[in-house]
Amino acid sequence: MSAKPKVLVLTGFGLNCDHETAYAFELAGAAAQRVHINTLIKGDALLDDFQILVFGGGFSWGDDHGAGVIQALRLKTNLGDRLLAFVAAGKLVMGICNGFQTLVNLGLLPGNDGDYTRRSVALTNNDCGNFQDRWVRLAINPDSPCIFTRGIAALDLPVRHGEGKFYTDAATLKTLAGGNQIALRYALADGQPAAGAFPDNPNGSLMDIAGICDPTGRVFGLMPHPEAYNHITNHPPGPAGWKRTGGVVSHRKPRWARGFAFLKTPWRISAADAGMTDFFIAGVHA
Amino acid sequence: MPQRIEITLNEDLVDAEGEALRHKARNYFGIDLETVRTISIVTIDADLSEAQVAMARREIFTNPVTQVSSLTPLPVDFDWIIWVGFRPGVRDNAGATAVEAVEDLLHMKFSPGQAIYTSKRYCLKGGGITRQDAEKIAGEILANDIIQQYAVYDRNAWDPAVGIGFVIPKVILDHTPETTTLSIDSDATLARLSDERSLSLNPNDIPTIRAYFLDPAVKRQRRAVNLGDPTDVELEYISQGRSDHCNHNTFGGRFHYQDLSTGEGETIESLFRTYIERPTLALKQRKPWVISVLWDNAGVGQFDNDTYYTITGETHNSPSNMEAYGGAITGIVGIYRDPMGTGKGSRLIMGSYGFCVGPRDYAGDLKPRLHPKRLLDGVIEGVRDGGNKSGIPTPFGQVMFHPGYMGKCLVFVTALGIMPAAINGEPSDQKTIFPGDLVIMCGGRVGKDGIHGVTASSATFSANTPAGHVQIGDPYTQKKMHDFLLQARDEGLIRFITDNGGGGLSSSVGESARFSGGCEIQLEKVPLKYDGLDQWEIWVSESQERMTVAIDPRHLARFMELSTLHAVESTVIGTYTDSGKIHITYNGVTCAYIDLALLTSAFPKWEFEAVWQPPALRGLTEPVLGVPTDVAGLLLDLLARPNICSKTWVARQYDHEVQGTSVIKPLVGAAQDIPSDAAVIRPVLSSDRGLVFSQALIPMYSAIDAYPMTTCTIDEAVRRAIAVGADPEHLGGVDNFCWPSIQYDPQTNPDGRHKAAQLVRSCKALERMCLAYGIPLLSGKDSMYVDGHLPGRYGETHKVSALETLQFSVTGVIDDVCRCMTLDAKLTGDRVWVVGLTRNELGGSEYYERLGKIGLNVPEVDPEAFAERYRRVAEAGRKGILASCHGIYRGGLGVHLAMVAMAGELGIHVDLSKVPADGALRDDTLLFSESAGRFIVTVAPQNEAAFAAIMDGQPAACVGEVTEVPQLTMTGTDGNPLATLTVELMKAAWKRPFGDLI
Repeated sequence: MSAKPKVLVLTGFGLNCDHETAYAFELAGAAAQRVHINTLIKGDALLDDFQILVFGGGFSWGDDHGAGVIQALRLKTNLGDRLLAFVAAGKLVMGICNGFQTLVNLGLLPGNDGDYTRRSVALTNNDCGNFQDRWVRLAINPDSPCIFTRGIAALDLPVRHGEGKFYTDAATLKTLAGGNQIALRYALADGQPAAGAFPDNPNGSLMDIAGICDPTGRVFGLMPHPEAYNHITNHPPGPAGWKRTGGVVSHRKPRWARGFAFLKTPWRISAADAGMTDFFIAGVHA
Repeated sequence: MPQRIEITLNEDLVDAEGEALRHKARNYFGIDLETVRTISIVTIDADLSEAQVAMARREIFTNPVTQVSSLTPLPVDFDWIIWVGFRPGVRDNAGATAVEAVEDLLHMKFSPGQAIYTSKRYCLKGGGITRQDAEKIAGEILANDIIQQYAVYDRNAWDPAVGIGFVIPKVILDHTPETTTLSIDSDATLARLSDERSLSLNPNDIPTIRAYFLDPAVKRQRRAVNLGDPTDVELEYISQGRSDHCNHNTFGGRFHYQDLSTGEGETIESLFRTYIERPTLALKQRKPWVISVLWDNAGVGQFDNDTYYTITGETHNSPSNMEAYGGAITGIVGIYRDPMGTGKGSRLIMGSYGFCVGPRDYAGDLKPRLHPKRLLDGVIEGVRDGGNKSGIPTPFGQVMFHPGYMGKCLVFVTALGIMPAAINGEPSDQKTIFPGDLVIMCGGRVGKDGIHGVTASSATFSANTPAGHVQIGDPYTQKKMHDFLLQARDEGLIRFITDNGGGGLSSSVGESARFSGGCEIQLEKVPLKYDGLDQWEIWVSESQERMTVAIDPRHLARFMELSTLHAVESTVIGTYTDSGKIHITYNGVTCAYIDLALLTSAFPKWEFEAVWQPPALRGLTEPVLGVPTDVAGLLLDLLARPNICSKTWVARQYDHEVQGTSVIKPLVGAAQDIPSDAAVIRPVLSSDRGLVFSQALIPMYSAIDAYPMTTCTIDEAVRRAIAVGADPEHLGGVDNFCWPSIQYDPQTNPDGRHKAAQLVRSCKALERMCLAYGIPLLSGKDSMYVDGHLPGRYGETHKVSALETLQFSVTGVIDDVCRCMTLDAKLTGDRVWVVGLTRNELGGSEYYERLGKIGLNVPEVDPEAFAERYRRVAEAGRKGILASCHGIYRGGLGVHLAMVAMAGELGIHVDLSKVPADGALRDDTLLFSESAGRFIVTVAPQNEAAFAAIMDGQPAACVGEVTEVPQLTMTGTDGNPLATLTVELMKAAWKRPFGDLI
């Protein structure tokens, strides 16, 4: 096994954040590969060769029948058992935006009671009635088992979606909250929950939910786009050290890393610079 | 037996689509609806068992958490039901993906003719809704009769067991394809046939066409392939090739220009060669970053040592005017194929938009086909879906309102791509074709789409007649093709690539065949959407999402393998040759055999009379106005003007950050709500180098003179790029002309000679500006005939012509994106400078427009002097001594000081007596003159001396400073307080017109 963990980023059928998602994982120390969904189905690429599977953003199959629905169907029909085996092996799965929508339609999230096939939560049309591109403040649940968010308190990221309203029944909501599976919530500037108010909560998500994980913390989905914060200049209106003082750039790398804090997290919890492989192994055996 | 699934959201969920309809009904027509619930209907026309349909309902079409569904009509309460579905032949994107999903789920394949159709019904509740109201909502909000059909039911008419029944909008042509020959026994006969068949042959071209077919040598060759008189395939091909759209006859035409003030005249042989090609080629000589211009689908510039960028822009006006959503999405998805077809193909990295429409609140007597409000909603949504679903960021755009666009709207779309400088060691910008290479059509299938444009709309409709002349772009199909072709490119499989746009195969194959010197096409191989198309229809159909590719036959197997992997349809439809002929057969029978050289031979030039009467001679004068005393009220009113006010709602619907490259976003400032001067992206993620993009549109000045309209538009676009940090040594341009008809006719176009003179003057200004600023024109297009005939109150019609409009786009580069600048005031105590001279130039200004005036003193550009000034500003930016930088555009200094303060949510105190001015100007002139060449910059106190040194000799001065209290405070030239406005108050005024839109 190489020193770097291997990340598979799905492409094809209209998905469109694959380049920057792969780039972001590379920045975080992984070896990322973009793989077409059909290549995976054909068996020309094997899930077993990877440690992290990423369902990225975009519009799979045009999303005309509910975002992520047809992608989930395609994968379930053609790869269902292999996906379940991947999860059962304790490997990591991440879904961003359309990928999050796909994970909930596959049933990989929330994955409660060990059932990774049941659709019990949904991401539906934004209450505001339209696609929205805007940056949001995210508060992170410090008690969440989510591996991806460990060690981070708050994060700014862009949302870009028309169907991001997190919705489920009261019982499921209670289970998610009780298990600290609500890893990420839309928040006000001071970190307090947005309490449903637009635009801080951009879509009307119940309990301001922006991202959830399964009970193990290894399957994680979120609507905001962490891969779109891969450089200091992505952040609006600009970090204090940059735009607001007018031109003096002293901290581009540290600032930049903040957007990837959760991708960098593995470095912190693994043995120094040994790479994410250690983290991954540590995660498996934790 | 067709089957049907109805799906709706759980009752406790907000029905966002229903809510949007409720709001539109109230906003458009004052109709109050209590609730609207939307039901999606999936009608399956295939041999599926009930169990199979039930499985599809459960697994695909119903979300168990949010939706309920049924194979019988859902019992949702209503007072009125409106059903809306597509007409036959209209692209049903959701229906197509549903087929894919069902095939995947059931492990089966739909047979030809089987399909899934999607439609919707809306359940309206509301006490006082009349049938008339319901019909209005159906016909004027929900359905456009060009592409959709609808039905309205009240409680009595609705049978809950039957529902909407089974509507199958399937195309059935019941026609055997045939080629016909057309007689050319006289010019008059051919002219008559041209009329009858909507060939739109120019009468002046007819003798040339006849001479070709009557040439004994040609006749002899044609006899050898069993052809005599020209076939419809051949004449359609010539008609397409000679159309203004493909051939640019206006810009290639001969203009007889006369200036009535001097009495001097001149003849210009070609606007394109004289004012576009000549300066661009001259600039290419001295700018090594200019890689490829004037021949390919898009221009190519160098981004860095290893990377080229590509850019082009066009308009999609007439289709959008008919069907706003379909026209706009087809426009943006279509322009994205141009960079894909440039060089050996580039990856798309951004798009932009420019919408010019009538006043959104128009309440006058004229009746356009679509009210400007509805039209604008439609084009916004079309570009949104086209861009977002393509995964291409849309970080810049503009919306312009003017009554002149009631006749025809303008929908500008611009696309940028990127490609490696070399592919397999060969330059990526170059391509050619060798005899023996295969002609491959990739992507969508061919139907009766776009044939003869809108002339087809007069044909009578039956229940199965395709309504395909207005199209709906399909970004999903195109995105798959985009990904496929890039992989094929990188494997070195592509020899040549071009897109199928106007003219379809006739244009893409006809033009690419020139590279090898001929082609043989087997039309029966072209995959069709439905049977029954005549050969000429296959040849000229403008069905979307198609590229034409030339490959070496040795690469066929690998090319097809990749095509299958990406689920893209590719078909070999013929072979490139060096025969000198376009030779088309259908099942072995020749239906066209034409010399390639014909279209480039000596067809007569179009001729135009252009007569210029300067504005003063036309009677324009400056208005006589006393000095306003309520400057605060005036500024607030200007901030709320439609062309100044906030249009945040548009930018937020557009994904401007996909690809992770966003640097300067469309909305910037402390609250991210003020439009930026320009967009900047970082297209190579691993590099800190940035690509700058800006656009400008100031058509209002054309009411006085299109020459300064042009210089000011180009200057603004350049200044926008400079304001964010672009390098003035690398500025590329794209010119998009949209002009009313310029051919003089005493009855139908009595001011044609004036409009023609405006075009000549605009082109002269374009050349002057490009040479002075050093802007090669990387790409450009022209769209003429921006006129419409609108019914009035008494049944009369009015010809409404657009202002002479130029949209100018500028590309630039910046070494380090961390050096980019934004307009927002940054810190209290920073010094506020105005760079550039303010002059008495209120002609055509927003201020005059507010007062119902036009004036005469339109702003003038001194490009050589401005260019030096911009180099200095760029130097200051590069050295990092500017805290903010903003151009002064429409609305003048007053409006743009407000922008800087609002963006920073800080105050500015300014002393107007310090503003660099040309003579002693009144306060209203200083605040609202739209003189070009100016910036507002803020500078930290410790940097001010360095900035002053850079600006030495330039008209530039410190006029005030940034203050803690967020308010704009102005002192007049007499030293007395002039106005004080809080940022909160200004923002409220600026956001009022469209602030409640999301």
